[in-house]
Amino acid sequence: MAILQVIGVQKDFSGLQVLTGVDFEVGEKERFSVIGPNGAGKTTLFNIISGKFRPSAGQVVFDGRDISSLPAYTRARLGMARSFQITNIFQRLSALDNVLAGVRSRAGLRHNLLRRPHHDRDLMKRSEQILERVGLADQRHTPAQELAYGQQRALEMGVTLSLEPKLVLLDEPTAGMSRQETEEAISMIRRVTKETACVIIEHDMNVVFSLADRISVLHYGVMLACGTPEEIRADQRVKDAYLGEEEE
Amino acid sequence: MASQNAVLHRVGLALALALLLVMPWLLGSYQLRLFTEAVIFSLYAVSYNMLLGYAGLLSFGHAMFFGWGAFSFAVALNHFPGIPLFGAVALAMASTTVMGLVVGVLLLRVKGTPFALLTLAFNALVFAIGIKWHSVTGGDDGLSIACPPLNLGFTALNVSHGANLYFFTLVIVGAAIAFAWYFTRTAMGQSVLLIRENEERMRFLGYNTNVSRLILFVLSGALAGLAGSFYAILNSFVSLDAVSIEMTTKVLLMTFIGGTGQFLGPVVGAFFFTYVQNYLSDLTDNWPLIMGALFIGMVLWVPGGLAGLAAKLSGGRKQGDQDGTLAGME
Amino acid sequence: MGEAAVFFLHGLAYAGLLFLVSSGLTLVFGMMNVLNFAHASFYMLGAYFAYSILYLTGNFWLALIISPIILLVIGAFVERFLLRKVHVHGHVHELLLTFGLAYIIQEAVKLIWGTTPQAMPLAGFLADTVNFFGVVYPVYRLFIFCLSALLGLGMALVLFKTRIGIIVRAAVDDSPMVDALGINVPMVFMGVFAVGAALSGFAGVAAGPLLSVFPGMAGSILVDAFVVIVMGGMGSLGGAVLASFIIGELQSFGVLLFPDFSLALIYMLMALVLVLKPEGLFGEKQ
Repeated sequence: MAILQVIGVQKDFSGLQVLTGVDFEVGEKERFSVIGPNGAGKTTLFNIISGKFRPSAGQVVFDGRDISSLPAYTRARLGMARSFQITNIFQRLSALDNVLAGVRSRAGLRHNLLRRPHHDRDLMKRSEQILERVGLADQRHTPAQELAYGQQRALEMGVTLSLEPKLVLLDEPTAGMSRQETEEAISMIRRVTKETACVIIEHDMNVVFSLADRISVLHYGVMLACGTPEEIRADQRVKDAYLGEEEE
Repeated sequence: MASQNAVLHRVGLALALALLLVMPWLLGSYQLRLFTEAVIFSLYAVSYNMLLGYAGLLSFGHAMFFGWGAFSFAVALNHFPGIPLFGAVALAMASTTVMGLVVGVLLLRVKGTPFALLTLAFNALVFAIGIKWHSVTGGDDGLSIACPPLNLGFTALNVSHGANLYFFTLVIVGAAIAFAWYFTRTAMGQSVLLIRENEERMRFLGYNTNVSRLILFVLSGALAGLAGSFYAILNSFVSLDAVSIEMTTKVLLMTFIGGTGQFLGPVVGAFFFTYVQNYLSDLTDNWPLIMGALFIGMVLWVPGGLAGLAAKLSGGRKQGDQDGTLAGME
Repeated sequence: MGEAAVFFLHGLAYAGLLFLVSSGLTLVFGMMNVLNFAHASFYMLGAYFAYSILYLTGNFWLALIISPIILLVIGAFVERFLLRKVHVHGHVHELLLTFGLAYIIQEAVKLIWGTTPQAMPLAGFLADTVNFFGVVYPVYRLFIFCLSALLGLGMALVLFKTRIGIIVRAAVDDSPMVDALGINVPMVFMGVFAVGAALSGFAGVAAGPLLSVFPGMAGSILVDAFVVIVMGGMGSLGGAVLASFIIGELQSFGVLLFPDFSLALIYMLMALVLVLKPEGLFGEKQ
């Protein structure tokens, strides 16, 4: 059964068509990747799925429910979590407090006027576990802004995972990383998304081909192709689109 | 080290409490009244700092809550003869809460400078209502009140002045300040801090940040309203001064001079302001000029306020202090 | 009919003053994103300086020239040594600084000139009246309107026809961009802030003989100027012209039609615009 269905999604910004009918489905434990050259509409698509924009036409169905017009925070509560391409964490807070924000949201402890999250053993334990999963257990008390870049990216992932989502949306998770950092990030992503569905938007072909179960190629707002990595590698239209891009 | 610190904290807290309890025997009646006033203004400033220091919301309209609370309290006493004291206080807080909810829904649609302007406009509107609605508020004449005794079951205490008023204020207003402190540690209080740090991320983590802000706004208003009712008890009188722009300016100066970065900053500011004003106004009619100059000096050179300065002098920032490091405005 | 015409002309004169004050306010906001609470204090200072100059020399024209020059210097000083200093602490501090300045200027004025309103007597043709299609009307109010129209035109010429004007307009729209072009943005900021203060000072001098000089004059025009720039769209000069006209007339006829509620009405208007259309009635959507 599909956890996410994108059905005929279109988006235009004051007359300019950015997406012209995108369709795909993501299975319950599938890692799905959207690739495409710059300006293909990847980020717009991502923002429509995560709830930053609403589609001009079409539907986004999550877990059997049409979420096209739901605000971002409701989608997050339903079990969808996104990461950001430019690290978007709580800079002045410790790593632990960063993940605690998501952990307690998941536990429904958002506006409680009586309970103190720092005094809740269960929440603290779960936060520690999240930090362990992304390899930051030793840095739990370090303010986010004092972490190294790679660690900040890991924390970005940790904050996303802190919601214990059914679907993880990753926006260029390896952007700005060295080759070695990228390798580490790939193995971490593989590890932490074993039990969840995952949609990855990525530029880096190596990352995509080593992670994704299925790939779809977006080109100027149109879905060019969709299939397994082998099928995509063999697809002539994809080659044309990409070769054209790389010559520039 | 940490446990030693905690012990020191506890000892300090116990000493402070003991000192507060023996105050009536240390101070003359005039001085005790001044001290009581400072306690009331502490709550007013603490409630303001929930907006300014914790949520980063600059309001120029906090007196609308303070004054609304004061007038609601007076109106409740005057229109429902025989109402018990706590009934009137509760009614005042309830009415401020409703007012905060209505105003908040309208106000929180905008942010930044428009928000600041809108709070100013609403404060002025509430003030205008106060002037024009003469039959209820007394207009320019204000309202005199006769504070009913506090019924404790076995006895009834007159709490309208002196040591009784002091203890009554200390218990109720003190409890409200303690609650405000506790609030900063609760899920809701932490959410407010996180939203100021990174609102977008909070939304993507499932937080309806508009609701968070509204809850904070209403809560801050209700606490200011409570301070307002005690201000009415203290003076046995309510005038439009309580809801004026000057009263808003006052809380702004108190809070900022005291320091927005620490929970106790506004308390320090309220005491400082009350005593310095009292001292200066004996010397010169131009005390607001000195207070204003002090404020500007703080904005320019000591953005952390007196409390921030004290923390710096006593050996830098303490690590891991949840509210201390975060409430500071950059 | 005659009465309505008089009120209309009254409104026009006040609209002129309002425009002089709010044009600087809106330009500074557009450029530096700072709502200057002390802006109307410059207006008040302009009036008080003019009052003192008139008192000492008896020459109104001298006051009209010297007072705005003093404000120009004060404006430059405030921007350079106060506002720029707190800029690093962020937006809230900038607002607080200008708020504190307004408070101090208010108190300083009370200390120096006292709290009683002072009259600024006029002499010569400015004190005369003209017969305007059967309506007898004071020359001075017409003079105020002409003065502000003239200054407004001058400002428009500078903004739209000179290189400096182009830079200022670009800075209002997008200051990092201008910075990138290698233009000394801080200098432009200081200049606009100072000129805004001087314009406000002009308005103050002009207002003195009309409304008399008193410590509350800053507060009353500040509110109207806020409403003007909120309605006109923060940062929009054209919007400020239109909104000044509307508020000027509204104040003039408001006194006639709802004498008790004119102040509350103005606040209500501002609140309505902010709640329903935060970008202003005539402003561009951001």
